[in-house]
Amino acid sequence: MNENTKNVMIIGGGIAGIQSSLDLGDMGYHVDLIEQEPCIGGRMAQLDKTLPTNDCSICILAPKLSDCFRHPNVKIHSLTQVQEISKNGRGFKVKLLKKARFVNEDSCINCGLCVEKCPMKVLDIFDMKMRKRKAIYIYYLQGVPAVMAIEKEKCLYLKNKNKEKKVCGFCSDVCEHDAIDFSQTDTNYTLESDAIIMASGSNQYDPTPLYTYGYKKFKNVITGLEYERMISASGPTEGHITRLSDNTHPKNIAFVQCVGSRDVNTNSYCSSICCTYSTKHAILSREHDEEMQSTIFYIDLRAGGKGFQKYIKRAKDEYGVKYVRGKIAEITIDENANPILHYEDLDTYEVKTKKVGFVILACAMIPTRNSGKLAKVLGVELDEFNFVKSSIDSPVNTNIPGIFACGSCLGPMDIPHSVINASGAAAKVSEYIRVQKGGNHG
Amino acid sequence: MDEIRIGVFVCHCGTNIAGFVDVASIEEYVKTLPHVVFTQRNLYTCSETGLLAIKNGIKENNLNRVIVAACTPRTHEPLFRGICSEMGLNPYFFEFVNIREQCSWVHQKEKEKATSKARDLVRMGVARAALLEPLEKFQIDVEPSTLIIGGGISGMSAASVLANQGFHVIIVEKDTELGGQLRNLHRLYPGDMDSQKMLSIREEILKNPKIEVHISSKIKNIDGYIGNFDITVLKGEKEIKFGVGTIIVATGTDVLKPKGLYNYDGKKVITQKELELLFKENQFNSKNIVMIQCVGSRNEERPYCSSICCMTAMKNARVIKEKNPDAEVFILNRDIYTSGTYQEEFYREARKMGVIFTRYNESKLPQVTEDSVIYYNESLKEDVEIKYDLVVLSTPLVTYHEESKKLSKMLKVPLDEFGFFLEAHVKLRPVDFSNDGIFVCGTCKWPANVPESISQGYAAASRVTRIISKDTFTVEGATAWIDQEKCIACEICLKKCPYKAITRDEEDRVIVRTVLCKCCGVCSTTCPEHAIDIRHYKDNQVESQITALLEEGEWIE
Amino acid sequence: MTESKSESEKEFEPKILGFLCNWCSYAGADLAGVSRNQYPPNVRVIRLMCSGRVDPNFVIDALIKGADGILILGCHLGDCHYGEGNYEAQANYKMVDKLLKFVKLDNRVTLDWVSAAEGTYFAKIVTDFTNKIRSLGPSPLSKKSNPSIEIQLKMKAVKQVVYNPRIRKLVGRERNITLNENVYEEIIDKDEFDLLLNETLEAEYVRNQIYFHLEESPKSVKEISNKMGIDKKIIFEQLLVLRQRSLIDLSEIKGYSPVYKVKK
Repeated sequence: MNENTKNVMIIGGGIAGIQSSLDLGDMGYHVDLIEQEPCIGGRMAQLDKTLPTNDCSICILAPKLSDCFRHPNVKIHSLTQVQEISKNGRGFKVKLLKKARFVNEDSCINCGLCVEKCPMKVLDIFDMKMRKRKAIYIYYLQGVPAVMAIEKEKCLYLKNKNKEKKVCGFCSDVCEHDAIDFSQTDTNYTLESDAIIMASGSNQYDPTPLYTYGYKKFKNVITGLEYERMISASGPTEGHITRLSDNTHPKNIAFVQCVGSRDVNTNSYCSSICCTYSTKHAILSREHDEEMQSTIFYIDLRAGGKGFQKYIKRAKDEYGVKYVRGKIAEITIDENANPILHYEDLDTYEVKTKKVGFVILACAMIPTRNSGKLAKVLGVELDEFNFVKSSIDSPVNTNIPGIFACGSCLGPMDIPHSVINASGAAAKVSEYIRVQKGGNHG
Repeated sequence: MDEIRIGVFVCHCGTNIAGFVDVASIEEYVKTLPHVVFTQRNLYTCSETGLLAIKNGIKENNLNRVIVAACTPRTHEPLFRGICSEMGLNPYFFEFVNIREQCSWVHQKEKEKATSKARDLVRMGVARAALLEPLEKFQIDVEPSTLIIGGGISGMSAASVLANQGFHVIIVEKDTELGGQLRNLHRLYPGDMDSQKMLSIREEILKNPKIEVHISSKIKNIDGYIGNFDITVLKGEKEIKFGVGTIIVATGTDVLKPKGLYNYDGKKVITQKELELLFKENQFNSKNIVMIQCVGSRNEERPYCSSICCMTAMKNARVIKEKNPDAEVFILNRDIYTSGTYQEEFYREARKMGVIFTRYNESKLPQVTEDSVIYYNESLKEDVEIKYDLVVLSTPLVTYHEESKKLSKMLKVPLDEFGFFLEAHVKLRPVDFSNDGIFVCGTCKWPANVPESISQGYAAASRVTRIISKDTFTVEGATAWIDQEKCIACEICLKKCPYKAITRDEEDRVIVRTVLCKCCGVCSTTCPEHAIDIRHYKDNQVESQITALLEEGEWIE
Repeated sequence: MTESKSESEKEFEPKILGFLCNWCSYAGADLAGVSRNQYPPNVRVIRLMCSGRVDPNFVIDALIKGADGILILGCHLGDCHYGEGNYEAQANYKMVDKLLKFVKLDNRVTLDWVSAAEGTYFAKIVTDFTNKIRSLGPSPLSKKSNPSIEIQLKMKAVKQVVYNPRIRKLVGRERNITLNENVYEEIIDKDEFDLLLNETLEAEYVRNQIYFHLEESPKSVKEISNKMGIDKKIIFEQLLVLRQRSLIDLSEIKGYSPVYKVKK
């Protein structure tokens, strides 16, 4: 590495972190991209399609993942978290913890032999726990780096490591590349960086506490992200819309808006992406099944982004999606586990019911718990909703000079906004570093 | 010439292809085609695993042509070409066969026929691959400077970030001063910041020695290409010419004047913009105010949501309530658009302050009479009358259509149906154009609020910095080429070339300036003497595909 | 879908070749894919950067090789990524269309516009065109039809016309001379140009046919006239032109009538 090369640390390898990395890498900065999961990709990797174009999410993301992986200026630190940070002039010293993968990243070729042999089944978090994977696994099929990882807590060999007799270890036996390394341990190391971008993303609100919706109580009430995996061809049901109660295909789906949002008892803010992502779900449902009837229950229909109104029109005109201005009071079920929605029609103020085969709750985007921890470590101020606090005239700055933020850790936002923010943060980083250097260029 | 060794990688794309095309039979078939020495199937060829397989395939089999039969070249070609380059193979020896968008996805109910079609497509690809020629990309010098068209908040944000990094920036503003729509605003949400405070960025811009500002100026002409654009600006009567490396389009939008709608007269029935002017000049003294949302938007003519009007109405309603808590403010709306964290809070606060929100239906628009607004209340199922002394219409942001059109022609970039600039990709390239070296930010792309416009300005600056922080830019190698033996210098091509890439050289020969050539091929088809060929889309390459399709192999019977 | 048809009932499946521009129509086809718009699997696509790249040679070549139909798709007029490449495509298509009328193949080639947003429309175009070609039956040049010597010779002549520098020059200049003034400051009327183009094409086509007939064996004016079913006077005129261009020669005089042959 050139002595004069400046380093930037980007925390979070979702679409925002990836975009910042690529921009800064292209500008000639060395980028350390920190990702806590085994692969980069973030939420976008979980999505089936993106709106309003309905292009396949992973298809447009995959080239970016590879660009990141192959970029000479970008280094991906997977399974890594930030532990501590200290000031270092105008820059920072960051202490990191890399969790043991138990698989050698350089030798694994992702052939999958080990997965076949592994006897331990584990709920797959990437697939929203709707299917099981093995204790040795690739985070998701198109994931980058494309190497296996072993989940320490579930691995038979590692759990019984201290016993006299060797237990399991089939993966290691079968691996033709000697990639399995049970001796790996978690490691601490320190990196210096001249600026930091926080891109730690967001989470989906867990609607279990809103017991009136019956999530977890009724099998045919699931969340938006769960549905996203369900309609994905590489998801748990291979793209078949399947009721979890009886594995049949529903003909009638209700989408409930503002679950855990615009509600002072949970999150008072508007999650801003749900009206349109439910519309996407409804359109895709009809594409999966020509007879599918979808109804979206909403309070205000919020679709201000480019092409979004047209998208909704298309949903209504071409895909027969019904929009009902209504607030759900309660969801119950009949003897066949069909959900019944009891709702107030907000146009007429009448109380009505509707029986459907399946209910999808459009749950709010919320800050991740790890973002909170990370903000504390970095000293970054959060707003009243626990998103990173930014201001109207400096939308990608944090309160700490040299630390910037982008993507949904700043608040609920869709992919284009995340990408815009991400490039924006990259520009501000470059400005911060070059001004520090004395500015003049060329 | 070396022996041609073609490797074909057939992608399952999970079940996207394999579910509708018999990929195993495709692989078997490919093995029988001339020059094919290696075949493989991959679950996801674009994954790192798939790419590694290609690399190994090239290395172990000494491949000098690579074919991937998978999805559309429009998204993945650069990736696979990159892999070839990495392995020391000329990237133009890569050939993409699309058996997903063009086959498996569109013939989902006819597996056999889809498979047969895929066989044909791959055969055509193999025939073409055998005739591919290596091409060199070349480097062009890049001037480390940017032209920013439009001096509103978005353009100024981009300018400040770029200039602070030491790059030369030229702002061309058609108005008599910088600031754009920001000048018309009274306060900004959230936090009720005074727009004047944000406008102070103008002084910074004007003081910055790296920024050159031309007010009252228009773009007259744009020539050249990434790294070396030649700009002609008309400043009053005077023509100014200069060169820049990159261009940012930040021309902004206007606010719709609702002529003929709701008895708009600019006095008793005004727009939000006019209301803010009243605030600024301390001229406001109305007590019964009715605001109507979606005036001239979300209708047949302008089906889009302008996305900032609900917040603007609320912001102004709050100002009224602060001035006079007894004033009555109604906001007649269709859907309240306050998406995001603080926006929703803002809405809640406005309601607490006593602003009354009430809904009207698009099929029964409110009526504005001499002294009252009548609207149909859905829950009461009857018309309701509200007395007013001021009606404020929330009108959408609209494009400067004619000017945008002119600019889009000069830049050769597209507009959408409403006159907004069309970016390269809505999701992943939101501030890029598909043409190299030209970027877009702010409301000329789509309605946006102030923080969004600033972010977009920064984003455009980032995309520009990627290019101008390096001395050179790499240009595609696929271009037109003139066979001097055949050329009779009739100059038909010279007139046809949309990029003025064909000229006479010092020796008076007709030649192609390859940096300018974008490979459209018009010159070739109109050349009487067949003297022009298009590299990578050569006559013999296309003909080989035709022959392979029609004279070899089977066809669905 | 399980319905299976017996061999004899099986419908004729046309072979259709599509030339799509990269920026709009190919993107539209991609969108059809992404949107899972289903259409008949009869079209095989060659992707070019612009519809203006579709050389008339490609079209004639494909017909000669037996394509039942050819679909040329570009950006809508005014939307061309390169400005006006699709107008060039239109000019070329017009010429090809006129020529193909001589051999009654004009309804097998179509030019249309599809934008990147028109996936459904793309599927419709392909469906409609496939159905149209299916109803026309196999091309007389397809292997199925056992192409006759006559049609083969005619197509050879057509190919020569398309290849001819004079024709290409005329078509290449069309938009220039009908939109702008020529050196004599006249703007030629579009209809007038069409007439001129028609005449030129026909003459060139007839000449080429004569040439190929003579290439088979030396013939007299009367023999050629009988073969081609064209008036002797026209044949004689064109023979003169061919002689001027020194493409043919006098072979012998049979009785009173001269017999011509091609120049080697």
